[in-house]
Parts: sequence; C-alpha cells; structure tokens
Amino acid sequence: MIPFDLRFPTTVQEALELLDQYGEEARPMAGGTALVLLMQQRLVTPQVVVSLSRVDGLSSISANGSLRIGALVNHRVVEESPEVKAGWPLLAETYHRVATVRIRNVATVGGGLAHADPNQDPPATLIALNATVTAASSGGKREMPIEDLFKGYYETCLTPDELITELTVPRPVRPLKTAYIKFLPRTADDYATVAVAVALDVADGRCVDARIALNAAGSTPIRARDAENVLRGQPLSDEVFRAAAATVPAIVDPVSDHRGSANYKSRMAEVFVRRALEKATA
Amino acid sequence: MATSVIGQRAPRTEGAGKVTGQAHYALDVPVAGMVWGKALRSPHPYALIKRVDASKARTMPGVLAVITAKDIRNVLHGRRVYDLPILAENVVRFIGEKIAVVAAEDPAIAEAALDLIEVDYEILDPVLDPLHAMDDDAPVLHPDQRSYTGLPKIPEGQRNAQSYGHWEKGDIEAGFAEADRVFEETYSSAMTHQAHIEPQGGAVWIDDDGIIHVYGHPKNPLGQRKQLAEALDVPEDKVIYEFVRIGGDYGNKGGLMDVPLCYYLSRACGRPVRMTHTFKEEFMAGSPRHPSVIHMRTGVKRDGTITAHQVRSIFDGGAYGAHKPVPNVDVGGARKAGGVYRIPNCKIESYVVYTNHVPGGFMRAPGDSQTIFALESHVDDIARDLGIDPLEFRRKNMIQEGEADATGDVWRDLYWRQCLDAAVAGSNWGKPKPPNVGRGIAITHRHIGEGEAESLIRVDPSGQITVVTGTPDAGMGAHVMEQQIAAAVLTVPLEQVTILPVGSDIMPFDPGLGAGRTTHVSGGAVNAAAEKTRDELRAVVAENRGWPEDDIVLKEGAFHLSGSTEQPVTLGQAAVEAAYGRSGPVEFLARFDGRKVFTELCMAQVAEVEVDPETGQLSILHVSAACDSGTIINPPAAEGQVEGAFVQGVGLAMSEEMILEDGRVTNPSFGDYKIPTAADIPPFTLTWIEDAPGPLPFGGRALAEHGHIPTSPAIANAIRDAVGIRLKSIPFRPEAIYDALQAKNEREPEGR
Ligand SMILES: Cc1cc2nc3c(=O)[nH]c(=O)nc-3n(C[C@H](O)[C@H](O)[C@H](O)COP(=O)(O)OP(=O)(O)OC[C@H]3O[C@@H](n4cnc5c(N)ncnc54)[C@H](O)[C@@H]3O)c2cc1C
Repeated sequence: MIPFDLRFPTTVQEALELLDQYGEEARPMAGGTALVLLMQQRLVTPQVVVSLSRVDGLSSISANGSLRIGALVNHRVVEESPEVKAGWPLLAETYHRVATVRIRNVATVGGGLAHADPNQDPPATLIALNATVTAASSGGKREMPIEDLFKGYYETCLTPDELITELTVPRPVRPLKTAYIKFLPRTADDYATVAVAVALDVADGRCVDARIALNAAGSTPIRARDAENVLRGQPLSDEVFRAAAATVPAIVDPVSDHRGSANYKSRMAEVFVRRALEKATA
Repeated sequence: MATSVIGQRAPRTEGAGKVTGQAHYALDVPVAGMVWGKALRSPHPYALIKRVDASKARTMPGVLAVITAKDIRNVLHGRRVYDLPILAENVVRFIGEKIAVVAAEDPAIAEAALDLIEVDYEILDPVLDPLHAMDDDAPVLHPDQRSYTGLPKIPEGQRNAQSYGHWEKGDIEAGFAEADRVFEETYSSAMTHQAHIEPQGGAVWIDDDGIIHVYGHPKNPLGQRKQLAEALDVPEDKVIYEFVRIGGDYGNKGGLMDVPLCYYLSRACGRPVRMTHTFKEEFMAGSPRHPSVIHMRTGVKRDGTITAHQVRSIFDGGAYGAHKPVPNVDVGGARKAGGVYRIPNCKIESYVVYTNHVPGGFMRAPGDSQTIFALESHVDDIARDLGIDPLEFRRKNMIQEGEADATGDVWRDLYWRQCLDAAVAGSNWGKPKPPNVGRGIAITHRHIGEGEAESLIRVDPSGQITVVTGTPDAGMGAHVMEQQIAAAVLTVPLEQVTILPVGSDIMPFDPGLGAGRTTHVSGGAVNAAAEKTRDELRAVVAENRGWPEDDIVLKEGAFHLSGSTEQPVTLGQAAVEAAYGRSGPVEFLARFDGRKVFTELCMAQVAEVEVDPETGQLSILHVSAACDSGTIINPPAAEGQVEGAFVQGVGLAMSEEMILEDGRVTNPSFGDYKIPTAADIPPFTLTWIEDAPGPLPFGGRALAEHGHIPTSPAIANAIRDAVGIRLKSIPFRPEAIYDALQAKNEREPEGR
C-alpha cells in the first residue's frame, strides 16, 4: 500500500470540508472493507484518507413513516433492526445475505452503495423497494432515486467532494409481496452469480405494481422494466411469470468470469426472475 | 497395561495458547529489532532478465538492505531436485518469481523501494499447456537440466519433463485383445491451494556466535536445517530451526521458501529479518497442488472382469520441481491408477511437466485425489454402461488379501471390503430416490507413512514425565497423541506427562510431518521410549530390592510386586534410584524403526446429491464414509483428520480452482478462490472400523491422508446417477453441469 495521510473529522461538515479541500486526492473511508482492498491492490491511491469512523449523526435508523438509515449504519444493524424486520423484511433479509458476519459488522450502508460493485446484494432490493439516497457536499444536498446513483463498474454519480449521508425507503401502503434470491452455486460466502429482487403490490389477485431488479447482471444493478410492464395489471399466474421472465435475457449484459459465462448468467437471470416471482407470491 | 488414556478425548497440549492468541508462529516470535523484507517479483511468465538496477532503492531513506542475485551465492536448491535459484538472475520462469528483496523497518517503505528497482526484460513465449510442453517444438525451459543435482531418471529426449514414472504388469496388448469392450476417457483437475491459514514466511536472527536461528514452519526441522545449510554453504550445526507453531501445512511447508532471503538480508543489515507471503503472493508463488490431465483406457469382459488398464497422466509441475520432497520428484498418487482393483495387465505412465506456471508442491495425498477422481469416475461409467451395479462391480473386482494390485504390489491386513460395506450401510444406497437425486460410490487405498524416529523421555524425582520432542505439530494434535501414548505406557494421568517441543539443535531424530507417518513413526518412538523407561526403571527397582523382574507390574505410576503387600515404588522414586540417589532426572532415548509396512488402508465414500436441472446447481445432500482406523488414540484428532480432509474433498469437487490465464493466477485471494464454508458442508456420517489392528501404537492405522480422495469421484458418480451426465473435470462448475444437461436434452429430447 502507498503511504497516505489519515484524517479523523468528527462532524459531517468537517468531513465535507476536507473532501472539498483535497478533491480527487482524497477518499472517504467508512468500514474500510472495500476501500482498503482497493488500496492494497493500488487500484486507488488516495493521498488523504478521510475516515468517517468518528463522524457523528450518520449512525441511526428511524422508521417514522419512511425508513431512514444513516450512511454509517453497518450492515449487521440493518439486518437485525426490529423496525426494518417489521416494515421492510426484504431489506433485512438482503443485508443478511451480504458476505459474512465479520464483514457485515463493519461494512456500512453508505460505503456499500458508494462502492458500486454490480455484484453486491443491496442495490437490487433497494431498487425494488423504490429507495432514494441523499448526498451532501459543502455546496448543499441532493436526493436521488437509488437507480440514478450507479453509473458503471465501481462508478457512481457522486463527485469527489460528496458523501452519501442517508438512505430512505418509503413505507408501502400495504405489505408488498417480495423476494430476494441470490444464486450461490459455489459457496455460501460468495458474491452472487446472479441475484434478483422483486416487490409486487398485489390486490385481489392482480398485480397492481411491480418492481424488479437484478444484481450481477451488468455493469450496474439493472431494473427489469419490461418484465414489470408484463406483470402490471395482470392476474398472478405461471404464464404471466414466464412471460415476464422471458423479457429478461434481452436487457441484462453480464460479464463472463469464473462464476459463469455471459450466456449462462443471462439464462440464469431469466430462471431466477421467474423463481423470485413464484417465491414472492407463494 | 492400563490404556484408559488411549481413546480419551484429551485436550490439545497447545490448545489454550492457540485459542488465547499466545502461541508463537513464525512471524510473531518476539525477537528484538526485527525488520521486514519484501520481494520484487516477475510480472512475466517467461522472460530473460537483461538488467537489474537497484541503485535507487539502495539509497532510499529507510531502506536497510537490498539484495539481488549478484549480491549472494545464488545456488540452485530444492527439496530433492535442485532447480530453483534463490533469486532469478538471467531468466524468470513464472509470474511471481523473486528477483530482488528489500529490508526496511517499515514494510511500506520496503514495498515502496521495490518500485524503484529497474528491471529490463526480454519477453519470451511462455509454455502454459503441459501437453504442448512435451511437444518437440516447445521451448526447453531448463536447458541445463541434465546438470541438476538430484535429477530423477528421465528418458533421454523427453522434453520439459520434471519426472517420469512407469509401471507395467502382464501383457497390455494381450489384455486388450481379450476384452469384449474397451472404454477410454480423459479426466482433468484444477490447480488448488492448500489454503493453510498461515501463509508461508519466516524469520532469521543471526546471533553473536554466528548461529543462524530460523523461525519458519518447522515441519521437518532436521531436513530443513540440512537444506538451508547446504543452500547457504554453512555447517548444519550453525543453523537452528527453532520450535514454533505451524498454522496449517497440508503437505506444503517443508521447503525453504523465503528463509534464505531473510538470512541474506539479515547479514546485510545486521538486524533480524522476517518475510511473509501476502495471500496474493501465496497464490501466485506458493506451491499448490498439481493440475492434471489423465487419460484412461480399460478393457473389460461383458461380466465386468477387467482384462487391461492403461493410464497416461500428465501433471503440470510449473516452473520448478524444487518443492517436491520425494526422490523421484513426482506426485506419488500417479502409481495408484489401478486403484483397489484386480488388473492382470496394466501399464501406467506418469509425467510431471515443466511449464511457466507457479511451481507445484505437495498437498495431502499428492496425486491421489487427481488419479482416483479419474479412476473411480472411469470405473463407474464402465459398470453402468455394462449394466452392472457399481457396488457389485467394485465388490467383484476388488483385490483380496494376498493378491497383487495393478502394479504388482501385495498388501496385507486388508479391510477394504468392510470399509465399502460400512460406507454403503451408512448411506441410502439402493433405496428409492426422488427425481434429480443420485448416489455415487468411490473408494481408495492408501499406504501408511514409513520412517524411523527417536524419542527422549525424562523422569523427574517428582515423578513428572517429560517427552522431549522434535515432532512438529501442524495443528493435527501430534503432541497430545504423544502425551497420551507416554501416559498410557507409564500408567500415569495425562497431567503427569509434559510435552517439551524443542528445536533442531537438541531434538531427538524425527523425520518430520508427511505421508501420514506421525502417529506411526514419531508416536512409535514415544511408545518405544516409554517402554524403555518402564523396563529400565523396573530393572533398577528389581535389583535394589531383590524382586523378581517378571513379578513387577507398573500400575497407576508405581511398580508393584504382584501378590505382595510390599510398598509400591513410584516412577519418581525409581528415577532417583536409577540416578544413584541424585535428585536430578534420568533420561531414556529410544529408536523406532517403521520403515517397512505392508498394511494398506482404505477409505470408501457414498455421496448423495441433487442436481437442479434448470440451473446446474449441485447440492450435496449427504456423504457416508468408512475407513479402517484401528485403535483411535484421540477421537477429536481422528475426526478432525477425516472430517477436515472431507471438507477439502468438497472444495475440490465444488469450488476450489486457481484460475490461470496467460500464466497468471487470476483469483489470488480467498474472495475469489472459494473454499467451502461451514454452511456448505453436508451431513457426514463417518464409520470407523476399529477392529482392524494396524502397526501404529496400540494397534492403530493412519488416518491423515485419504479422507478427501474419494469425495469428488463419489459426487461425480452421484451426478451421473441423478441426471445421466458424466463430468470429467474438477471442480464441477455449475455451468458445466448446465451445459452437459442441455447437450443431453438435445441428444435425447424425449427424456431418458
Ligand atoms: C470478503 C468480502 C466479501 C464480500 N461479499 C459481499 C457480498 O456477498 N455481497 C455484497 O453486497 N457485498 C459484499 N462485499 C462488499 C461489501 O458489501 C463492501 O465492502 C462494503 O459494503 C463496503 O462498505 P464499507 O463501509 O466498508 O466501505 P468502505 O470500504 O469504507 O468504502 C467503500 C467505497 O465507498 C466510499 N465511501 C465510503 N463511505 C462513503 C460515503 N458515506 N459516501 C460516499 N462514499 C463513501 C469509499 O471512498 C470507497 O470508495 C464483500 C466484501 C468483502 C471484503
């Protein structure tokens, strides 16, 4: 690792000022589980690392109305939170599926999102649940749909002086029918070969609304809008699920790697969209 | 003789130190003033080195020493064949080969200094396919091979061979002529890593007498001392391999790796120096299990009688043979290509081939897992294609006591049939099964490690027994085993036996870990020393009292004159008498010779799997295993050996694979090289055949080397049973299963 300067701001404001001051030369660090690996491989070589570990005010969860999760809340806390489990069970389950408990105890929600590895678990679920993220810089704040955050492999729309401060998930009007399936054919601690999240709003046996997204199926998490359109307004049935899943291979763009070829992953994307729909409505 | 401590679930002698973090491994030995060494490694699989300029690194502030090939006596060295230079000088032969090393107090400074070393390369076309390496137009990677010390026998003109093995029996052509059918197939296996949690490393401190203290991985301290002394050209007594704990070995750590470099850096900067592989370095430049390509051709009668069996195995040995510890520089398992079967006409040829990949080393039953995967898959197909039940096929063809195996070896004390039957009994074999579920059998045989060792036992006036041991313990419980044996022979509680591990300077002779020999050979030596202690002290007690020796029994740590009320004599009292009344201890040294063993072990497994036909996902539902353990000295240690090996077998079958592209290992971390987690391990039923006396102390048999061997073929055979496809390469990638199922559905659109 290349030597660097390590700073410990204690407020969001101070952190943002440091990022503003050093620009491209600085990198924020939350849990450090991703950043340190990238630094060891010299894929990123910041001169200044701005540790967020002592920053106040980004470490709480509130569930009055929408769910609001501070950027420094770690994965384990989301997974175990009674509020999250009660109102957004899919979210608790998805964070539970990330890596191992050792990673989840330190990896933060904000760091996970900013890392933007398309193989990660939370993004598809957050898209399915219609979440938004708030980013702040010394110039002010902006809020955006989670889908807009991701631009490519390890690439977000954040500027170097911005921090994610909060994640917001709306409370559904009535409980959604949801499922997250992480296809793990090798070992239980692996990244997904493909993963699918679905959230269906169902009334009287019909799909009123559908949100479907996939991880590990392209350079960003991918929303399966064509599949959603097939479902919307339709009665739930195997034929509809199959028809929805059949639209998926055309919109995914996975890479070939040691988890499988692009073609295999596309096939699996279709299979697991169908299975996730079946699981959500079972 | 009271043997109650044999079979006891005795705790590890070193257990508390390990779980509290106080145990010392190579890198955390507290030596004052220790500094770090870091290595500059080749980024090319094959290139000439035109120039190395380290001058900028030498003058960098904080750098204590820089060493290149020109700065040292850069000999070739190795465990048997000496083909590996300490540092690359004119040529690099794999990505990760070391070119220079730097010492600095801060490892970050040492690393930064590596960036300042300039190397000019002339890049050459690498040899990456072991089959191509053998072709006449392949570049010769070791043009000076014929001059290497320790060169094994290799036929003239055999291009890029590290070693060659050849076994023949009967008349292979006549055997094929006799056959009703001939089956032929090629199998392959991936390069895999031992995945010990402690990466390879070491530390060297040169004291004011010039003694070189090595804190490495002392799995064979006397052997390593000899290797190092030779490589450095110093007398053996100037080197001490100190006793430290070993964080897992699995066959890997018996070489020198970075220890000579620690020495040269230490000499250059006058400070103790340590080096350790990062896991990335461990994957790129460790000494992994050899990948294989194994071709089998077998002739059979319609009734399943084998008439001929021909095998050609090719192992990718990588750039150097130096890490292989056996005289023929091969992977021993290759000769087992006839397995447990009666084969009248057989020909086995095995090549280990030089390529520009990371050099291969030894890992748990080297060669066996590759060879038996091929054989047990092949045999299963033969049985099923002939319409014979695979269990019956094995029962019919399995050799019996006194029969010769495929290479003509005759084994004794066979409990193979019992193992097979017990493994089957512990499984659902033969019961109805749901769709996409299948069951498969595989079986292997395995020798018991041989050798000789000495042990020293000391008895204090207090009666405390100390076993002064040079037996390494890589985590398998060797020391508690020695404690139990000494306690059992001397009829004392475990607490009355202290295990004192010592370094190569004063240890009694020990051959080191390997080949599953520790309980047999090192345990045998402790047994012999304890018996000698007992017998000599009894003689003293007899003489001093005029008791007839034959009437004296040792029980509960004291000599009793049987049938009398005479005061028993404790071991402590006897020791004082043996020392002519001195209050000092007495010592007994004994030797055990376990060089000739004909007992051959067995491990049989039955796997039950389910295949998801839509995705190719494979789930192992259950595995039943049985082996002829004989007497078990320490049950948790025995379970640890077989269950731990089984977990490695699951890894071989399911996920472990060093992926090589253009000579580079592309997944050099445990994030991408996947070993099974606890959640991936299926229910495992293990049956011991304990009523199977063997040559180990108290009638045991070796257990360490074969728990993983049948796992991957048993799973492959279960996959065929489940969905009718044959997978010929490990690990079984889900996509390969998916593709094979697609292909099968195209062939047979109507289903089976
Ligand atoms: C062994 C291993 C296995 C893993 N397996 C999985 C898995 O199965 N599924 C999965 O989803 N993920 C997995 N991960 C990835 C893991 O989720 C991420 O490493 C983690 O979420 C990153 O969070 P962190 O707090 O440690 O971020 P850090 O490492 O601190 O930072 C990550 C990136 O985000 C930036 N950053 C951090 N905080 C902020 C912020 N508030 N605002 C803006 N930028 C910020 C950093 O500069 C850096 O670029 C795995 C990681 C490891 C190491």
